[in-house]
Amino acid sequence: METLAALGHGFAVALTPYNLLWALVGVTVGTAVGVLPGIGPALTVALLLPVTYNLDPTAAFIMFGGIYYGAMYGSSTTSILLNTPGESGSIVTAIDGHAMARQGRGAQALATAAIGSFIAGTIATIALTFVAPAMVRLALLFGPAEYFALMVLALTTVTAVLGNSLVRGLSSLFLGLALGLVGIDLQTGQARFTLGIPELLDGIDTVIVAVGLFAVGETLYVAARSRYETEELYALRGSIWLSREDWARSWKPWLRGTALGFPIGALPAGGTEIPTFLSYLLEKRLSKRPEEFGKGAIEAVAGPEAANNASVAGTMAPLLALGLPTSATAAIMLAAFQQYGLQPGPLLFESNPGLVWGLIASLYIGNALLLVLNLPLVGLWVRLLTIPKPWLYAGILLFATMGAYTLNNNVFDLILLWVIGLIGFGMRVLEVPVAPCIVGLILGPLAEQQFRRALAISQGDPSVFVTHPLALLLFAIAAVLLLTPAVLRYRQRRLAS
Amino acid sequence: MTTGRSLRIGESVLGLCVLGLGLFIALQTFRMKVAPIHAAVGPRLFPYLIGAGLIVLGILVLREAWFGRIAHAEGVELDWPPVGIIAAGLVLQMLLLERLGWILAGGLLFMVVARAFGSPRVHLDAALGLVLAGLIFVLFNYGLDLRLPAGILAPLLAPAG
Repeated sequence: METLAALGHGFAVALTPYNLLWALVGVTVGTAVGVLPGIGPALTVALLLPVTYNLDPTAAFIMFGGIYYGAMYGSSTTSILLNTPGESGSIVTAIDGHAMARQGRGAQALATAAIGSFIAGTIATIALTFVAPAMVRLALLFGPAEYFALMVLALTTVTAVLGNSLVRGLSSLFLGLALGLVGIDLQTGQARFTLGIPELLDGIDTVIVAVGLFAVGETLYVAARSRYETEELYALRGSIWLSREDWARSWKPWLRGTALGFPIGALPAGGTEIPTFLSYLLEKRLSKRPEEFGKGAIEAVAGPEAANNASVAGTMAPLLALGLPTSATAAIMLAAFQQYGLQPGPLLFESNPGLVWGLIASLYIGNALLLVLNLPLVGLWVRLLTIPKPWLYAGILLFATMGAYTLNNNVFDLILLWVIGLIGFGMRVLEVPVAPCIVGLILGPLAEQQFRRALAISQGDPSVFVTHPLALLLFAIAAVLLLTPAVLRYRQRRLAS
Repeated sequence: MTTGRSLRIGESVLGLCVLGLGLFIALQTFRMKVAPIHAAVGPRLFPYLIGAGLIVLGILVLREAWFGRIAHAEGVELDWPPVGIIAAGLVLQMLLLERLGWILAGGLLFMVVARAFGSPRVHLDAALGLVLAGLIFVLFNYGLDLRLPAGILAPLLAPAG
């Protein structure tokens, strides 16, 4: 009941014309960056951080939430019509979605994706409404030792589940942790790894790293590959309405996708890719017509598209209740909280309920707006795909350098952007995932703080991390996640030989 | 064509970089002059841990590079000139931004990147880049409270209010 009252208050905040306007801006921008390949929600929020510096934080987060939701809607359009996923959460959608487009059923694929996203987004936002306060109650039991253990778990899962090589994922994570060390140590005032450069005393900004890896690195990679990739855009034809059979085949995958997406997003398991892959496999297993999968099965679009939206709602729960980002976009949003001097967690629910519940309420509203934007107006977004590639990427780099420069009005940040962009290009070529680096950069310093705080409380006795049952449990889960793939591979090799 | 062999070299470079970064962090931490404090953990423990982690990972990446499975095992086509042009364009913008101002430097960057992606219409690209950079300039300096450098166009542009 208390939760519903809080949510009601949130709607009062979100429905003011001013905040409604920012929700609309957010979902529109989100859909656009979702549709456009090469630019995603993490990069967009990062680029908007300097711009929103003077904006009211509630309005800014309402916009960021809209961007995150909107990107998941928009990316399905690109997957289906262009066979290039707009975001990593829509990789699976491209398989059957594009096959449907080739058969002239692109409109139906878009419709099942949009309606599924709406249903999943709404159910998952309801779940978020009730799970977030529960997480807050859990968080109240947490001391520094538990927070440290939780952060180690989040860092482990983000790394272990992404990419196909644990060593490469860990390298990316440790690069992020190393970048996070740069600057003045908060506890002692000791300057670390600043190489005598005064600009580095404040540390390396998350925005620079995110923009460098996602915009500059990605643009360089696309430039290197652009001669070899051919894309074919399929026009939309015929009615966009789903037939009775389409509905019958879609509604169960929507619900199952939601059931997979939300918990996986909410547990620190990182990103939108995993639930979409799981949803695809599940639908194939359950389908009476598994032979259609890969050749345009509507279930294979409905399930994963529901899953990616649900997982986005899921990532908001640990972000708001624990201050724990489980995806690159959530990591940038945590940086946004820091920019405003806010600390997500139980205290934020107490001190700033207008922001927290206004944001959650605006997610309901944004979801409804997105259904309108993406179903009747989908034709407008398809036009975005006709922007010539040279202009698209030239524009992305123009905005990237603008975002980096305006952080501190400093050319030094552009040099840093360039260096990190080249590193990002190398990572892209060698298939080193970049998300662990971003999450490591932002969580590393927080984890160090909690670690030192825990030891200060225990007067230097390191056994706090194993004598607290919750902390021990979290460490154990992290160890299992890290070691399981290695053990499985070892057993496979033994069986093979 | 970038073959498996050069990709293995690329992986080795990655391994050496990770290893080198780890050694650098460990060495810098060792040399760090720390004021004597009474805290249980000083500012050196985490750098040591991260440095050690990077050293181990660097060795593992090197092992993977020569004996394990690498990315793009079937080889990957990479076109290097556009990468070089874009990287050079970004350096050019860094050098010119505060001299020529945002609009000219940004327009130039736009043109260079579009060219690197194979756009044939250089004049149109330049015009579009100048318009886009100009719009960003107007929005930022007059609409938002941010300052992009006006550079040599300063006499033509009204000071932000």
